[in-house]
Amino acid sequence: MIEMNSYERVMAVLGGKKETIDRLPCMNSASVSTTDFMKTFNASWPAAHKDAEKMAKLGSAAHRVCGLDNVSVPFSMTVEAEILGAVINYHEGAVKWPSITEFSIKDPSDLKFPDDVSKAGTVPVITKAIAILKKEFEGKVPINAYMVPPFTAISSYLVDSISFLKCIRTSPDTIHQYCRDTLDVFVEMATLYRDAGADVITFHEMGASNDNISPQHFNDFVKPYLQEMIKRLNMPIILNICGSAVRIVDKMAECGANAIAVDERTPIKDARAAVDKVKPGFPVIGNLPAFALIHQGPVERIREAVKKGIDDGVDVVASGCDFWLETPTEHIKALVDATAEFGKRSHQKFI
Amino acid sequence: MGVEKKEEILKKLTEAVIDGDEGKSKEGAQEALDNGIKPYEAVINGLAAGMKTVGDRYECKEYFLPDLLLSADAMYAGLNILTPHIKKSDSKSKGKVVLGVVEGDVHDIGKNIVKIMLTASGYEVVDLGRDVPTDKFIDNAEKEGAQVVAMSTLMTPTLMSMKAVEDKLKDTGMKDKVKTIVGGGPVSEDWRAKMGSDAYGRDALEAIDKVKLLMGMITTAVDTMKEELKEEEKKEEKKEQ
Repeated sequence: MIEMNSYERVMAVLGGKKETIDRLPCMNSASVSTTDFMKTFNASWPAAHKDAEKMAKLGSAAHRVCGLDNVSVPFSMTVEAEILGAVINYHEGAVKWPSITEFSIKDPSDLKFPDDVSKAGTVPVITKAIAILKKEFEGKVPINAYMVPPFTAISSYLVDSISFLKCIRTSPDTIHQYCRDTLDVFVEMATLYRDAGADVITFHEMGASNDNISPQHFNDFVKPYLQEMIKRLNMPIILNICGSAVRIVDKMAECGANAIAVDERTPIKDARAAVDKVKPGFPVIGNLPAFALIHQGPVERIREAVKKGIDDGVDVVASGCDFWLETPTEHIKALVDATAEFGKRSHQKFI
Repeated sequence: MGVEKKEEILKKLTEAVIDGDEGKSKEGAQEALDNGIKPYEAVINGLAAGMKTVGDRYECKEYFLPDLLLSADAMYAGLNILTPHIKKSDSKSKGKVVLGVVEGDVHDIGKNIVKIMLTASGYEVVDLGRDVPTDKFIDNAEKEGAQVVAMSTLMTPTLMSMKAVEDKLKDTGMKDKVKTIVGGGPVSEDWRAKMGSDAYGRDALEAIDKVKLLMGMITTAVDTMKEELKEEEKKEEKKEQ
């Protein structure tokens, strides 16, 4: 079989043509930052959150150095919260994840809506970084931009999670109001990313895992908004839920996305089986532990885990979550190399 | 008061917690007091019994966080009425736990669930809240004479803050008296081993079991020390003789 490039490989899987690929892709549709890459590419945090050139460099480092099958920006789960009124600490002078200082929203009326989403918070940095990446990688490497959709952005970064979750039982209308009121902002952000050149958008809806809410809550409060956003965007979407998602993977597959992604708390075999019941063959991405495996290694363990994931029926080998910042570069290389080696063999067997 | 009436009130408290009904819990607690039920009994056989059922349902994924949080509110509503009436001698605390979300993280759902379950299991809990600086853990563990320090975080980046507390407890020589337990989204057995904490709780219920074990370890350690002291005293006495 003719060797494909990363773009062809990933887009074939997301386009429902996984039988045509030369080998399984190896992706990370969350943060691909590591301190090693920050040094090598002179793109350290917090500067890389606010400087498009640095963001583009850091977002493509894992592809350049290790051959990862995608590039990915930004490196923060707080972009959406910031433009809706949260105060973000970027930890000047230190390499620390951006964090919120407090839950600032007490009621839907406290939300702040930007006059112009394209200029709000770090959105202009991200769209510029995407445009830079597009110039170099268009048609060669898929450009992933990730977002935190309404339910998780609001329940984890804007409103005190405890009072928000209680509302699910005591005041469900409030939850719907939060999600409905903000939906347009999220769609507009995603549209800006798409128009700047993003090939794929990943929605990280980890606040909706089975660790937090029930499958019924997922159907009532999460699924309808994801469905509407995905329908309006009309582009390749990955729906990612880290945390236990065993009981909702089938519902995730019905949200309209092109693939679902899970972490180690959702075993691939279980996800595969549940998804196949509602959408046979629907792409499942995952689910290697970012800390316990990819950071910790050693290489041989990573190789075994990749092989097992492929044997269990994963369609894209991926880190379950953001790369741990101190991940040794050789471990990411091992991840990609093992996928290339075992992903090909398994595929031939499959044919 | 007849046995039936008593059973009825205790059942009301249990149901109030299971249903997450704050009003019913307050009502039941007041009725317990009015009818001369021992407040301690109302807590253990009423409220805590309800929380046990809630915990079981949470474990088998019949209940989720919203349910658990509302049940906890109901439990606390009853506790607030009953606790002031409990005689010290009635309630022997099983031990003291200093608990908090480590520095840099404000996500405290997991921590609060552990607090709820620890309280329901009879432990005294000193809740330091969220985004707790390293020194505050150390100072409070010492001041309160706690046997266990419990730390939680939902965020990967703040795992390092956990290690800072662990390291400081070691550096200040407090690890003889205090054991640590860690938990939260990104925490794993691997991480526990790496940072040197004494226990990892995968979820709130496992955390409670582990705290029990840690409390046991400390009692044993203290007992051993006491015995060693006695032995030494005996030796000294012999020498003097």
